[in-house]
Amino acid sequence: MAKQLIDTYVAELPPTVQKAVHQSTAATTEKRYQLLGDDYADSDGLRKLAGAIRQHTLEYLDTYLAQAEESLTARGAKVHYAVTAEDACQAVTGILQAAGITKVVKSKSMVTEEIHLNDYLANQGIESIESDLGEYIVQIDGDHPSHIVRPIIHKTRGDIARSFEREGLGDYNDDPETITRRARKFMRGKYLEAGAGITGANFVTADTGRLVLVTNEGNSRFCLAPAKVHIALVGIEKVVPSDADLSLLLNLLGRSATGQQLTVYTEFINGPRRADRPSGPEQMHVIFVDNRRTEVLASDCKEILRCIRCGACLNVCPVYRQASGHAYRSVYPGPVGAVLSPLLAGDKFKELADLPKASSLCGACNEVCPVDIPIPDLLLRLRNRAHQEHVPSPGTPPMAGFALLGSHPLIWRSAMTFGAAKDYLPLDRLPVPYLGAWLKTRTLPKWRGGKFRSWMKSRHGRNGGGGK
Amino acid sequence: MTARETIFAAIKSALAPLPEREPRPAVAHGVADAQWLADETDNVALFVQRATAVGTMCFRSSSDCLAWLFEQQPARVFIPDELRDVTAKFEGIVEVVRSYSRDQVDEIDTAFTPAAGAIAESGTIILTDESTPDRLAALAPWTHIAVVRKDTIHRSVADALAAMPDDPNIIWVTGPSKTADVEGILIQGVHGPGVQGCLLI
Amino acid sequence: MINLATRPKGKRVQLMATCLCDAFYDDVARATVEVLEHAGCEVDFPEGQTCCGQPAFNCGQWPAARKVMRHTASVFAGDAPIIVPSGSCAAMMFHGSTLEFEGEKDRAAIAQVGARTWELGDYLVNGLGIKEWPGEFRAKIAFHRACHTRGTPSGAAVLQLLQSIQGLEIVPFGEEEQCCGFGGTFSVSFPNVSTAMGDLKLEHLRAVHPDYIVSGDMSCLMHLGGLAEREGQPLKTLHFVQILRDALHQHHGQATH
Ligand code: SF4
Repeated sequence: MAKQLIDTYVAELPPTVQKAVHQSTAATTEKRYQLLGDDYADSDGLRKLAGAIRQHTLEYLDTYLAQAEESLTARGAKVHYAVTAEDACQAVTGILQAAGITKVVKSKSMVTEEIHLNDYLANQGIESIESDLGEYIVQIDGDHPSHIVRPIIHKTRGDIARSFEREGLGDYNDDPETITRRARKFMRGKYLEAGAGITGANFVTADTGRLVLVTNEGNSRFCLAPAKVHIALVGIEKVVPSDADLSLLLNLLGRSATGQQLTVYTEFINGPRRADRPSGPEQMHVIFVDNRRTEVLASDCKEILRCIRCGACLNVCPVYRQASGHAYRSVYPGPVGAVLSPLLAGDKFKELADLPKASSLCGACNEVCPVDIPIPDLLLRLRNRAHQEHVPSPGTPPMAGFALLGSHPLIWRSAMTFGAAKDYLPLDRLPVPYLGAWLKTRTLPKWRGGKFRSWMKSRHGRNGGGGK
Repeated sequence: MTARETIFAAIKSALAPLPEREPRPAVAHGVADAQWLADETDNVALFVQRATAVGTMCFRSSSDCLAWLFEQQPARVFIPDELRDVTAKFEGIVEVVRSYSRDQVDEIDTAFTPAAGAIAESGTIILTDESTPDRLAALAPWTHIAVVRKDTIHRSVADALAAMPDDPNIIWVTGPSKTADVEGILIQGVHGPGVQGCLLI
Repeated sequence: MINLATRPKGKRVQLMATCLCDAFYDDVARATVEVLEHAGCEVDFPEGQTCCGQPAFNCGQWPAARKVMRHTASVFAGDAPIIVPSGSCAAMMFHGSTLEFEGEKDRAAIAQVGARTWELGDYLVNGLGIKEWPGEFRAKIAFHRACHTRGTPSGAAVLQLLQSIQGLEIVPFGEEEQCCGFGGTFSVSFPNVSTAMGDLKLEHLRAVHPDYIVSGDMSCLMHLGGLAEREGQPLKTLHFVQILRDALHQHHGQATH
């Protein structure tokens, strides 16, 4: 029987990686749960309110995006728009070339992962260094992040020590403190020689044009302290109406992502240096990136655009915990990725149409999502879409026979009676792959088809109950 | 069509078929305040408690701060002019420099900068380009001490957001720089300060 | 989702026994009838019933699923509450159905059926207002809250009833919020993930040595019980309604399952 890719991946994933992913995600889930419980009587109500704010913003996105642009422009920032990933990369290159810049430092940003900015810049002869520790390790290893908040959740300290040794950052030493100090030292030089700092944004407020950036390491701040040019790549959906909305969103983001009341550094930027504030970069560019977000907005899965990239759904997801991130073969893993990745794939939808299947639909993702995205519903809609588009789904039984049985009570009842034959058949040798997949690790209970119905009938005379 | 026009047209056509749109929900001020905040009466005490909990060292007086600093044996301490009064006692006891530039990133291991404010609820220090014109000074040294005036402490995150100054760069600092990227082990002092302090005046 | 607060609460109810009870777990369906009758209900069992169509719905084959749901809606005509001893099938009725009928002409008719559907524990506590359950059941149990009751009042309702039964000890266990790994056809199309999830759940459950694993969904119990048996370390499982019934009968200690 053909296999689901993620299921095969799980079977082949080294147990050490699986254990590391499970321990880390379970611990973060627990911290999140504790803190929200300690701090809020009704954290569920807050999630729903935050979801409504984000949904409202999306449904008036043209208004808020235009307003954000206006606010930023009024404060001296230059706003650009990019329809595709290629457009976005070109815009970045254009800005850098105009300023004569060949070295940049980056802080962690999912949208730059999505548009493969580092590869593009490298091809243009521009050195681009990831400054987040995890992202830097991913970069030197030519690897991909496996978690949206913890990019190297799949790596051990030994892996990292070997990479550092290879890159000439000192002899093999797998002490996490030493690794961090070496990165600190190396990155210092890079920050100081970079002409531009490239960042993403967690939010952009429409009324004041503030880009909000959160990090624990302080790297985004460092990218913007010595550089002459700041370029921010921002998905068009990141807008929120006002500063006041941030009080809810920031309070939920830190708690949901890492179990912190607030992330260590929360930075609000709304413009380049001014005559009376001569500190920061001389130029600030904001590139609003579509890259199929407007297609998602037009689809019946638009709620996924509420996402604030906290990673809580990954941490709680039992499938992600087994599979880790690479199994999802895309920038966004876990439940959010299972919805977003196939949608962002455009005409390559079919190649990722198996992702929405990789869920028991347990709904834990929705329960933890700080913006209350109904992820299971969206997974189901995408499954329906894949079926309509005739994407094969290995291991999934065809349901035509079931539909026939389920809509014909007489056939259903006789099936119930004849099902008893199952107890006398060598089930594990029957050529039914679905049955085989069940029986390999599980037994089936004894067949009792029709027993309840006859019991129910036998009581009719007694109590006068019964139906049609 | 320009990229801008293409995107706005796509957004409009995506939203056009919606039979109705989600109204803007009312977000009451303080809706996401921690529930225990109501029981706290003293902003300063709360700030100290919360800041300490996230790993920020708090000093209630400049003599306390000096005593601690002296033990650390700093190589060179940056103290800008405007903090001269606060740190007068430091002169002659530790080596003080009055200006900060990027060439000194490796030499200055301790810096004092004035803060623009603080948040009691979260133990956060607020810096702006106005209060800390040299961004690197608050970031590059291993030890950063923000000097916070007690009357600038906001009660809650929501209060701080409602009173955002007009400044191109506002940064909230809630503890020392940290990472848990390597096997989930917490390490402080990744890019920013490994020791974050706060001197209350 | 349909507004759960406005569902009918009458004492004449229709029982949706579920396909799993029809095929394997007749005792659970019987216990449901006995418990509802004890609570003063008159229980109708529409004979034409088959299934809620969830297997087809969950694997994205919505036309097939709608066919089954249309049949189900016609069988459960009327305005009486529909009671289901499964959180999963109940959620299919009041939530899944509204999704799969988006844009269909008969969506309102289907929604009318969903808007009468209750998971059994939810109905006992919030429909009939029963706050305590009489009788006694001496055992230590671990209660697995089925995933499809998330966001509904069922989990709390069932716990409230169980906690009120004399002699019953409910033990907490690790990572309770995690799914057992069944997931319908997920269990056969992702056998490795499904089994690994089940094994983790079993590990946590075994660590607290319960006499029974209890749930409101036989599908979870079929998966967990089947795994445990295949591993050669069988675990006893019970639907909570069997406990409610047996408590009434004052069964002491080992029930007969
Ligand atoms: S979908 Fe929700 S839980 Fe998942 S990353 Fe986005 S905001 Fe967080």
